[in-house]
Amino acid sequence: MATTALRPAATYRTGAYDWLTTTDHKKIGILYTFNSLILFLVGGIFALAVRTELAQPGLQFMTESTYNQMFTMHASVMIFWVVIPFLAGFGNYLVPLMIGAPDMAFPRINALSFWLLPLSALIALLGFPLGGAAAEGWTSYSPLAQSKFSSGVGTDLWIVALTLVGTSSILGAINFIVTIFKMRAPGMTLFRMPVFVWTILVTSVLVLMGTPVLTSALIMLYIDRNFGGSFFNTALGGGNAILWQNVFWFYSHPAVYIMILPAMGIVSEVLPTFSRKPLFGYKAFVFATAGIGALGFSVWAHHMFTTGTVYLPFFSLMTFLIAVPTGVKMFNWVATMFRGKLRFTTAMLFAVGFLSLFLIGGINGAILAAVPVDYHVHATYFIVAHIHYVLFGGSIMGIFAGLYYWWPKMFGRKLNEGLGKIHFVGIFIGMNLTFFPMHLLGLSGMPRRIADYSATAGWNDLNLLATIGGFTIAVSMLPFLWNIFITFRGGEPAGDDPWEGNTLEWATSSPPPPYNFDHLPPIRSERPVFDLRHANDVPALTAGH
Amino acid sequence: MLLSACTDFNVRTALPPDAASVQGQATRNLYDIVFVIGVAIFVLVEGLILFAVLRYRRKSGDDELPPQIHGNNRLEIIWTAIPIAIVLSLFVLSWQTLNTVDAHTPTPPVRIGVVAYQWQWQFVYAPDGVAWQDCNAPANAGKCVTVFGTPPAGGDRTNWTPPTMHVPVNETVELQMHSIDVIHSFYVPAFLYQRDITPGRDQVIQFTADRIGTYRGQCTQFCGLYHQFMEFQVKVESKADYTAWLQQELTPPPSPSPSPAPSGPAGSPGASAAAGASVTLQLTASGIAYDKTDLTAPANTPFSILFANNDAGIPHNVSIHAGSAGGTEVFRGEIFSGVGTRTYAVPALPAGTYTFACSVHPNMTGTLTVK
Repeated sequence: MATTALRPAATYRTGAYDWLTTTDHKKIGILYTFNSLILFLVGGIFALAVRTELAQPGLQFMTESTYNQMFTMHASVMIFWVVIPFLAGFGNYLVPLMIGAPDMAFPRINALSFWLLPLSALIALLGFPLGGAAAEGWTSYSPLAQSKFSSGVGTDLWIVALTLVGTSSILGAINFIVTIFKMRAPGMTLFRMPVFVWTILVTSVLVLMGTPVLTSALIMLYIDRNFGGSFFNTALGGGNAILWQNVFWFYSHPAVYIMILPAMGIVSEVLPTFSRKPLFGYKAFVFATAGIGALGFSVWAHHMFTTGTVYLPFFSLMTFLIAVPTGVKMFNWVATMFRGKLRFTTAMLFAVGFLSLFLIGGINGAILAAVPVDYHVHATYFIVAHIHYVLFGGSIMGIFAGLYYWWPKMFGRKLNEGLGKIHFVGIFIGMNLTFFPMHLLGLSGMPRRIADYSATAGWNDLNLLATIGGFTIAVSMLPFLWNIFITFRGGEPAGDDPWEGNTLEWATSSPPPPYNFDHLPPIRSERPVFDLRHANDVPALTAGH
Repeated sequence: MLLSACTDFNVRTALPPDAASVQGQATRNLYDIVFVIGVAIFVLVEGLILFAVLRYRRKSGDDELPPQIHGNNRLEIIWTAIPIAIVLSLFVLSWQTLNTVDAHTPTPPVRIGVVAYQWQWQFVYAPDGVAWQDCNAPANAGKCVTVFGTPPAGGDRTNWTPPTMHVPVNETVELQMHSIDVIHSFYVPAFLYQRDITPGRDQVIQFTADRIGTYRGQCTQFCGLYHQFMEFQVKVESKADYTAWLQQELTPPPSPSPSPAPSGPAGSPGASAAAGASVTLQLTASGIAYDKTDLTAPANTPFSILFANNDAGIPHNVSIHAGSAGGTEVFRGEIFSGVGTRTYAVPALPAGTYTFACSVHPNMTGTLTVK
């Protein structure tokens, strides 16, 4: 570290070689961000293909085969190459800054974690030119995923790619955990860490416990497909198709928390800053996060209620219970805004958007915990609506809140607020137009993953509405991309602390130097920068909790 | 609020369809309660968010710090305890409903075998004392009724009827469900019920339909390329209509039928071919594929196809379409489950290019050249 600390201040235009070889957590975080953003556009195009085909009955634009690849790759890309790494990227950029450390504990492993991502994304997408990408749905249920039923190389590439993503996640999780436990600045006790750091810590524990299970399951599936294995292959003796679902969901349900907890962390930083108040119930928030993480490993079989192979009351009860810590967080966020002085920057708009949309995803999730109700809407568009209110209304809104909030720190320039607000309004309206009708379609029995629905089933107009909503989301991305472009060309200089933030990243320059801090302010609460700013105010105001 | 545009569904409401079964009604009652509580929570929290957003916006020029409240233990205990009480009562309620929905009677009056495979359904009605699995046995010939589904020709649903399961109203029906290949799922929205059918794990479900009508059903577990064609219908009818339907299906069809009775597999194919047929083509299906992709037949002369289905339990046939697979069907051979053999007598066809295909598996195709 000593050699890096002697380098001059940050320079961010030192050429491609520097970006390709960097081990600076901030540059790696930025690489994560842009890689995820590009793949967000790719996954979005797959989603638009699906919505375009469903706009009216009949197959107008693609064959069943293409359609099946589109929805499979949409979900795979969005989950494994957008939401998870986007949030990991925020973690990479922010965790060392927020705990007052010069870098991650293992900078080279950090670089490896990142470079596995574009490599694996290319491998998964390579299926398209090589005769078709994976087309079994992102859940890749056996026996459908066995070579007998899905002989294409796309599925093998998908397995290899996901194994690499899993490796990337595991390495990243170890790195986060060691960094958080070993590299906090003096005074930064665990209960003074920003809530975002807590969410990254809990997420990393989830990754460390869950991802190896998925990775081994993928290797087993690969053996089944290519070397005559019989783990999940019912056609051969001993294979068990339900085993795949158990190991798959043992990771993939906690993965939902991996995809939402850091977004909750982002919102928990943005809301207090723009309410000019501390987060209401900091400790309750930390315990709720840990509670969601712990309960998250006991609910996986609620994806399997209709298989007739799981003990239903247990998984139903645990699923109901996980609504409680989530509810606690929701009330704490609202209480944070109460009696505050709210400033509606774009970041704040996205954070409030997160609250109002994630609320719907939480409520319809609790509805699904009632097993008989799940019997009716499982594998229908009700589930599609639910997951998108959680992952789009929740994670993606949180990610955009974070981008607008920390962009000035990353690049020293603020994104344009006017364009940002247009972006927010477009995406908020488009999101609801797309996904709200899916509740109604699902309740009336419209199954998901179907290339063409019967014209007489009564689903035509709501499907058209959802397609219009999908294109609204797509159009709303244009002001955002334009915003990035003009901000790089010459946006408003941000200064060190444009929002009056609370946490340590605002105590250094924007962008920060490679070694992060020249000197650290004293850390006596979870809001060291707030304390510094108000050091001369009435003591009652700055007292810790 | 209820717009009953269709007979089965209230598509435009936030409610499931009106249940057509006793079990579905129990689920519907549960849904209504859960939904009302969900809406109440939604209105409360969304109202609080909206109130905070409108009431506490920062006025321009106001630079004073608001009171720095870090929390309130009493409030936090309240909003932990009340949600726990709500979800626990919902859990108990849904468990009770679950016991109603999944209750089984040991002696259901109607038992139907349901066979799911890529990408169709087969419904098997066996007489008392015969398991549906044994219907293919020679001793049970003519005793069982089997409904075969076929996908719509060329993917066009306009004049297509999905396979129909007939059940009597107000009687408990047991479905014994079996999958031949991958996981499928039996779903009838009007019954508010679905159950996955996993290969190697046959599933038994029971329901009591209590409303006469025809209800849409569909496979809900993604099962591959033509998953979208796995639709079916459940026709709930009076006991008398149901019995009449079963009787009619058991009576062999009148003899001048397009596909003649099969000649015995042991018979010499050339000699037993239909009158006038001088040419016999051989075709075999195995592993959901034909062994040939090209066949040639003489023009303007009847000919026969000796078709062997080597896929155990999987139905196949040979149908002939003018031009491409989406063209007019000029011949359809009897669909039957393997392992077995049939000889199809094909009428005289004018010269040209035709496509032969399996009516059950649209991806099994080949070219028939008539010259």
